[in-house]
Amino acid sequence: MSDAIKSRVKKVLAGNFLKDIDFRELGDGAPLIDYGVGVDSVSRLEFLVALEEEFGVRLDEGEIPPDFFETVDSISDYISRRVP
Amino acid sequence: MNTLSGLFLEAAGKFSSRTAVIEGGLSVTYGELARSALGFASYLYSRGVRKGDRVAIFLPNSIEFVTAVFGVSLSGAVSVPVNSSFKTDEVGFYLQHSGAMLLVTGDELINTAEEASSGRGIKVVSMRGEKASWKFPGNHPEGAVAADVGPGDEAIYLYSTGSTGKPKRVARTHYNLSALADNHTETVGWTEDDRVLFVVPISHTYGFGNFISAVKSGAAVVVSGEFNRNGVLDLLEKERITAFPSVPVMLDVLSKTYTDGPKDLSSLKLVISAGAPLQERTFFKFHERFSVYPRQLYGSTETGVISINLSGDDEIAERFNSVGRPVKNVSVKVFGEDGRESDAGESGELAVRSPSMAAGYYGLPEETARVFRDGFYFTGDLGMIDEAGYIYINGRKKLLINVGGFKVDPGEVENLLSQHPDIAEAAVLGVTDGLGNERVKAVIVARRPMDVKDVHGFCMERIAEYKVPSLVEFRRELPRSPTGKILREQLK
Repeated sequence: MSDAIKSRVKKVLAGNFLKDIDFRELGDGAPLIDYGVGVDSVSRLEFLVALEEEFGVRLDEGEIPPDFFETVDSISDYISRRVP
Repeated sequence: MNTLSGLFLEAAGKFSSRTAVIEGGLSVTYGELARSALGFASYLYSRGVRKGDRVAIFLPNSIEFVTAVFGVSLSGAVSVPVNSSFKTDEVGFYLQHSGAMLLVTGDELINTAEEASSGRGIKVVSMRGEKASWKFPGNHPEGAVAADVGPGDEAIYLYSTGSTGKPKRVARTHYNLSALADNHTETVGWTEDDRVLFVVPISHTYGFGNFISAVKSGAAVVVSGEFNRNGVLDLLEKERITAFPSVPVMLDVLSKTYTDGPKDLSSLKLVISAGAPLQERTFFKFHERFSVYPRQLYGSTETGVISINLSGDDEIAERFNSVGRPVKNVSVKVFGEDGRESDAGESGELAVRSPSMAAGYYGLPEETARVFRDGFYFTGDLGMIDEAGYIYINGRKKLLINVGGFKVDPGEVENLLSQHPDIAEAAVLGVTDGLGNERVKAVIVARRPMDVKDVHGFCMERIAEYKVPSLVEFRRELPRSPTGKILREQLK
């Protein structure tokens, strides 16, 4: 999994959730639930859409694994397997 | 006849061979639906349900939900729809408060239903799944007829989110519902050729008002139990949907959803947005992608549908932020703080007079007298009406949080958090995220070290997901005014 993908995931996080956090300092394994990521269906949808826009891949909410939203690592790992 | 059951039977007679409901691969006609609903009404009678009894319906959008609503109505009982995302204690509150004697549900929700009913003497009936004791389409007993109900009889209990920690019961009569369907249908011009997609919960006032209006017009009602972006886009295209009641966040994510190819949504004529303000970028982005403008609708649990923006395509871009003009037979006025009626363009509190409005809140005479007065319902929404009669909403008096169209009472979440043994006190408020959507935030003073996961886990088990604080902050104390009031503005 490339650092470039993690960096782009953090960019999306910064745009959607972590308004007061310097996303560059966010650890790849830090629990994102602390920042409200993935808690409610609205924020999950917003985040998925933002990731789709960033990476140009389809991320179906019915297919992503349960631990998808846990960390930058888990998100990046799934996306890296989707990006052509 | 001005009753919900009369409305349904009239549509079933007039449009007997036309499609009434579609769910997944299953499609039923109005005639078939009427036979099933009458059969279900007979079944309810066999279970002891009589005119005026309350029957709670705890089901997602489905053919069974539709059958249950009309079956209960035909039996003469009162429907109490319960949001299918609710947890045990929430369902229990509705059962207790409504005085329900029977709860209708499905296998997937049966555990929650049984736990919520336990000790209350309430019968639980599954009508969906392998364990169903009444299964669609059921039998149609010979001679099954609708109970004799009148326009003034109660038809449904809906609950309005309060700001006091508990939802308020709003009883709507058969006349209220019949008037709502008449006025909304005539305003939007639905006919038997329309096909209306319901992803918003029909158990909620917004979905319910549009649902009975669609049935009145003989439209095909397409139901989906959950919102899945690609699933909804596929349904809109495949089922040639003509009308789509939605909430802004749905429109926002649909307009940006990645698809493998273009979607043909050329059948779509009316996209309704309600529950929260429609943002300009969503309005234009949705049109850019699907060539149809979303139109804002305004309604409330207390009144049903109030207004809708049906201005022409040449005007809508200028007026997209208006919730439109009142639907037929509904009147809206603006009153200033001094109680004087405002002139066009002047801001104040919006008040509604409607034949579909309730008489008040059950068991709350003071609250009823405060907001139901002089023939109007005072909405608590702040706004103005322009010279052309278009209504604009620009704020609200009530301390509610609007999560994707669902209203959250901060008091209810604060009460729950206060039951956690490690939480000394908590304040709950709405904050706006980077995309302009409101989210629930909890600021917590803990008795001993705890983390965000503890808070989420505790809430997830006890309240519907949309009420769970997505943001949690720990503080040593809450900021208070000299009189002890929590200064919520300082917590954002």
